[in-house]
Amino acid sequence: MKFKSPPMPSAEMDMTPMMDLTFQLISFFMMVTNFDQTQVDERVRLPTDALAKPPEMKVEHELVVNIGYKRAKDGSRLDPLPFVFLPGEELRVPEYKQRLMQEARIYQAKSVKLADVTIVVRADADVPTGQVQEFIKLSQDAKFEKFALRAQQPTD
Amino acid sequence: MKIKQQEPASLQQQTTPMIDVTFQLLTFFMFTLKIVGPEGDFNINMPPPGAGAAKSEVLPDIKVRLVAAADGGLASLRLGERQLGNGPGAFQTLNNEILKLIGRENSARSKEIEVEIDADYQLHFDFVVKAIGACTGRMSPDGKTIIRYVEKIKFAPPKGNPEA
Repeated sequence: MKFKSPPMPSAEMDMTPMMDLTFQLISFFMMVTNFDQTQVDERVRLPTDALAKPPEMKVEHELVVNIGYKRAKDGSRLDPLPFVFLPGEELRVPEYKQRLMQEARIYQAKSVKLADVTIVVRADADVPTGQVQEFIKLSQDAKFEKFALRAQQPTD
Repeated sequence: MKIKQQEPASLQQQTTPMIDVTFQLLTFFMFTLKIVGPEGDFNINMPPPGAGAAKSEVLPDIKVRLVAAADGGLASLRLGERQLGNGPGAFQTLNNEILKLIGRENSARSKEIEVEIDADYQLHFDFVVKAIGACTGRMSPDGKTIIRYVEKIKFAPPKGNPEA
């Protein structure tokens, strides 16, 4: 007598719930990702002030500059002098002059008036004010006129 | 002769490439996510020396002097010749005094008058931002809008550069 073997149960996993969850996660990350903040360097601990409200209108031309310290895990400074943080490199404030000149040339090549460009200074709360002013002086030498000092709202 | 029937082709879609791409997207967004609190700007207009706008002759600048302690902390805060101390209350006093000087909030005078921040080289930037905040204004009671006192802020050249 010939026996008919029952069909083998499928070994394939049902991927639908996992895909649902993954798409929900992607949607969440897409919503919370702010590509405007790509120029933000997390090493800079901004000063706090209640009046530091996000601007209502976006500035058309802005150059964000991060000035801060290299710190150890416990927060202590590894170097007594601050750096200008750039993607993949760090420069001392006076060394940034060449970059500012370069940026000025790029804006001019794009027919953007330097008086319309805002330099956003994201300086660490512990940076000496003189270093920030030195940076502003270098920017003025490169013919930039508008500056914005960035601060964070208190989190309490 | 017995003809063996071909098995029907599977109608199920191949989902593996989609899962691969989805996971790559998920990884990308997870790594690029930066959790940053809300940030705001204090605008200062500093044209190069000699290129500045005509100065108001009627309204003299308000001078705010910040003296640094040896560790970069605030030793004293002065408004003109008046000592305002160095504690957290000093900035609140500065805020009140600025309001007295401009008369009332959001007045035409607040657009004309200029504050000059004169800080020592070594002073931590945090105190300068607090001083600028105190001169700029205060938050409305509902915490949504800024009531402006002074709009023009400038810096005096720094004092006490250790390398000078």
